[in-house]
Amino acid sequence: MKTKRMFTYLFLIIAALISIFPFIWMVISATNQSVDVTKGTLLPGTHLFKNINNLFSSVDMWQALWNSAKISVVTTVLSLLVASAAGYGFEMYRSRSKDIVFNILLASMMIPFAAIMVPLFQMFAKVSSVVPFLGIDTAAAVILPTFTTAFLIFFFRQSTKMFPKDMMEAGRIDGLSEFGLFFRIYMPTMKSTYAAAAIITFLNSWNNYLWPLIVLQSQENMTVPLLISNLGSGYAPDYGLIMSAIVITTLPTALVFFMMQKQFVAGMTGSVK
Amino acid sequence: MGNIKTGLSPQKLKSSKGSRQIHLTGWLFVLVPVIMISVFYFYPMIQALILSFKTGRGSSLHFTGFDNYIRLFSDTTFLTAVKNTFIYLIIQVPVMLVLALFIAVLLNDERLKFKGFFRTAIFLPTVTSLVAYSVVFKYMFGAEGIINKFLVNLHLISEPIQWITDPFWAKVTIIIAITWRFTGYNMIFYLSSLQNVDKSIYEAAHIDGASAFTQFLKITIPLLKPIILFTTITSTIGTLQLFDEVVNITKGGPGNATMSISQYIYNLSFEYTPDFGYAATVSYSIVVMVLILTLIQNKVGGDKR
Amino acid sequence: MRIKTGSNNNTKANKDTAKEYEYKMIRWMRSRENASIFIIFQINKGVYVVKKLLSIMLASVVLLSACSTGGTKNETSNSGNSGAEGSTQAKEITVWAWDPAFNIAAMNVAKEAYEKVNSDVKINVVENAQADIVQKLNTGLNSGSTKGLPNIVLIEDYRAQSFLQAYPESFYELTDLVKADSFADYKIGPTSVDGKQYGVPFDSGVTGMYVRTDYLEQAGYSLDALQDIDWKQYIEIGKAVKAKTGKSMLTLDPNDLGQIRVMIQSAGAWYTGKDGQTPTITDNAALKEAFVIYKEMMDSGIVKVISDWSQFVGAFNSGEVASVPTGNWITASIKAEASQSGKWAVAPLPKLATTEGSVHASNLGGSSWYVMNVDGKEAAAEFLAKTFASDAELYQTLNTKVGVIGTLKAAASGEAYSATDEFFKGQKVVSDFAAWTEQIPNVNYGMNTYAIEDIMVVAMQSYLGGKDVDTVLKDAQKQADTQIR
Repeated sequence: MKTKRMFTYLFLIIAALISIFPFIWMVISATNQSVDVTKGTLLPGTHLFKNINNLFSSVDMWQALWNSAKISVVTTVLSLLVASAAGYGFEMYRSRSKDIVFNILLASMMIPFAAIMVPLFQMFAKVSSVVPFLGIDTAAAVILPTFTTAFLIFFFRQSTKMFPKDMMEAGRIDGLSEFGLFFRIYMPTMKSTYAAAAIITFLNSWNNYLWPLIVLQSQENMTVPLLISNLGSGYAPDYGLIMSAIVITTLPTALVFFMMQKQFVAGMTGSVK
Repeated sequence: MGNIKTGLSPQKLKSSKGSRQIHLTGWLFVLVPVIMISVFYFYPMIQALILSFKTGRGSSLHFTGFDNYIRLFSDTTFLTAVKNTFIYLIIQVPVMLVLALFIAVLLNDERLKFKGFFRTAIFLPTVTSLVAYSVVFKYMFGAEGIINKFLVNLHLISEPIQWITDPFWAKVTIIIAITWRFTGYNMIFYLSSLQNVDKSIYEAAHIDGASAFTQFLKITIPLLKPIILFTTITSTIGTLQLFDEVVNITKGGPGNATMSISQYIYNLSFEYTPDFGYAATVSYSIVVMVLILTLIQNKVGGDKR
Repeated sequence: MRIKTGSNNNTKANKDTAKEYEYKMIRWMRSRENASIFIIFQINKGVYVVKKLLSIMLASVVLLSACSTGGTKNETSNSGNSGAEGSTQAKEITVWAWDPAFNIAAMNVAKEAYEKVNSDVKINVVENAQADIVQKLNTGLNSGSTKGLPNIVLIEDYRAQSFLQAYPESFYELTDLVKADSFADYKIGPTSVDGKQYGVPFDSGVTGMYVRTDYLEQAGYSLDALQDIDWKQYIEIGKAVKAKTGKSMLTLDPNDLGQIRVMIQSAGAWYTGKDGQTPTITDNAALKEAFVIYKEMMDSGIVKVISDWSQFVGAFNSGEVASVPTGNWITASIKAEASQSGKWAVAPLPKLATTEGSVHASNLGGSSWYVMNVDGKEAAAEFLAKTFASDAELYQTLNTKVGVIGTLKAAASGEAYSATDEFFKGQKVVSDFAAWTEQIPNVNYGMNTYAIEDIMVVAMQSYLGGKDVDTVLKDAQKQADTQIR
């Protein structure tokens, strides 16, 4: 038993080290100047603040961070609401016709985004001339096609399979409406599922690159990944600057995870009895 | 256990008074996503399907029937990309999922200390953007990168491994990179499901004298079946659409040794003189492959109604 | 424990039933002897903490962005409506370009100069990575909508024909405004179609051989010995350098055949024929010789293999290679390592030994400005005509401020071009590059440079792996023939 424990800890420590190491390396690089980064220095340098300063003076990082935050938060909230309702609907009100619809929705996961990009852009280009605030170069155009994903519906449906269904019957007998059941019973009980979904959706939205790239045009609407991409292209990229930008953009996503993981902690410690 | 009840069996629906209404309510729950996905995925997908029967450069396209689909089979770059993608699929997905499940089970043990630290650390790779981590990996696995320095110092290898420029090792590098990035991601799905599992089941099993391994096999796996199926399918799709890592770490090279199908689609659309028609055809080849694999996975691991 | 009452209008249940239900739920849980109740309790607690954190974070984000956008707000409100749409009234010109240290900086110099004289014009420079511009342009043009397209866009010369020919209606002809013969000859091929001029040639990708004179001296070579050599002699020098100093002669990235492109263009050859369409991989003496030299370099042990741009830069910054045969735009990166000042010099590019017509000048990279056929095209064309297409003085500023070596012939006689550079031991580097620019053989890059290059990379791999060069090239030709249509 003792040795098994030992093995568990050893394994986890190694796994944790492997997971963390690239981050340490990233942070160290951010403290060095470009020349040293390209030489592969592994010692912390003194250029962190200079790099960050350069970054903030050369590009409008605050604006990009704000744009990304806005888009990611709205996308996450809408995503969770829509996908959980659908996952719940497909599983709890299961019928042959709904199963067919569900399987059709799943097919939308299978096509690479590159293939539907052009028609999608065309669609928004047309919308632009009618309703400009939903058209090209708006946050809405980034959010609209991305917030409903079959992936998340699938995830909620699979998680709903483990939900104790007797609770719903009990609630129904108590006279709760169908929507009441969803908001009052399902939502509170599935918090850890929501937390996992929120983390994943926020991360995906924050790091989304291809679609914002296509649909956003003006400098003041750009999101963080687009800025980072700009930094790397050119005859003489500043690698210290790029690394500091990567560190800064990783921080918000890490923060969201730290916040949301309280959910997991809560779930876990709560069940110890 | 393992016996999953439906919230509303069809019989129950029929017997209850407001069955019609409940049925309609069910549709209301799924209405919004059905509309959204139809507009933003299926409509463009149909456009892409039509496109896949056309060819030409830029915006001057004309119909060629099945020519594009026939071209696939004589296109050596495409065939290489398919081969590479399947190598990633067969090796990387099982390794990653087993690892993720294993870690999730270890972390779900309430007697474990520093649980928060381990969980956070192992999930941390997921917070990086694909581009960012790819860049970092490219540097680390360079010929004179930290990985080689480390291995040489430990005397595990006598001379540096060409992680990026050797056809075999380049594939290994890609597999290591994806595994690093996505193990924690899948682990979090398992972990969140494990929390929904009633602990008393394990306690009962423990009292019955079932070993940890038996518990894992007889309780954990069946209970997590839906979510395991979910991660398998999404990982399969993810691998078939693999793009950022390959582009940023190896650029598909050396030669075409690490080229993925998605990268080829990208090249056809943007890197070369654009042929969106043929690019759409290659995209649909992915759809067909995913469809077949999903059906197989559903047959093997799916829940029988 | 509280069950949250949502703001849901559809819910018939009032607070009483909710409470009642709560009670039932607790009972249900107890009945199952389940500890989940604690989970929910804890979760609610967790939610509270998360909510609080979220609101703090949001508030701070709002605050921070409010502070930071203060400056930019003014700017954007001045500029009026952005994008190509509004340009007819406000005469706003939107430009897409990449590389803030080079292209963007150059455009900003031109912009300032032009806006001073033409106060009714507002030039809005948008920065995007090159690959990003290619994607946005392709998606936009392919969708058939001019929505969101810029007025002026920078396109790499290797790619230009693919855009000009795939979307012939989308670019604005500049034949009357841009005099082709005032630019370096080799720039006209990529920027025109059938004698119609579409692009304003910008930077020169003229190549030279940057060398570490200190390493060469240790190996027994003077700079004079490098003035007229071929690649075979270059390899011999490389071997001596390697033997004496332990340093590699150059870096090569097996995924990037820039070296091959440089070698074949020096002989006026390309992957495709004069029509820019037919692949000419077999029966291409220059290409075959370039392949053979490439392998000889690899086999002779003088190459440091790299896999990426930063390693390329890192290799010479850290003094690991004795020479860098590449485009003049690398000057800035070479000079970034100030401690190596006085150790570098630039020699002419070696030429091919056996291929006829090979000269000591070639090109790598380089790009040109194009006007899109959207509203505001006249103003945009006018701007380019007055600046990049004719202003020799502007190029002097561009050279001193940004380090651009232009391809406008008249610029070469300016004072900036004859300046000496102490980093290169007082060599008149710019003047040398300008002279070589005019000698670059004109080739038609055609539409398929990158498509064929991907085939060539595979071919090179199997050639390095031991296959016969003729077989490898024949296979590549066959593949190119089927793939390019």
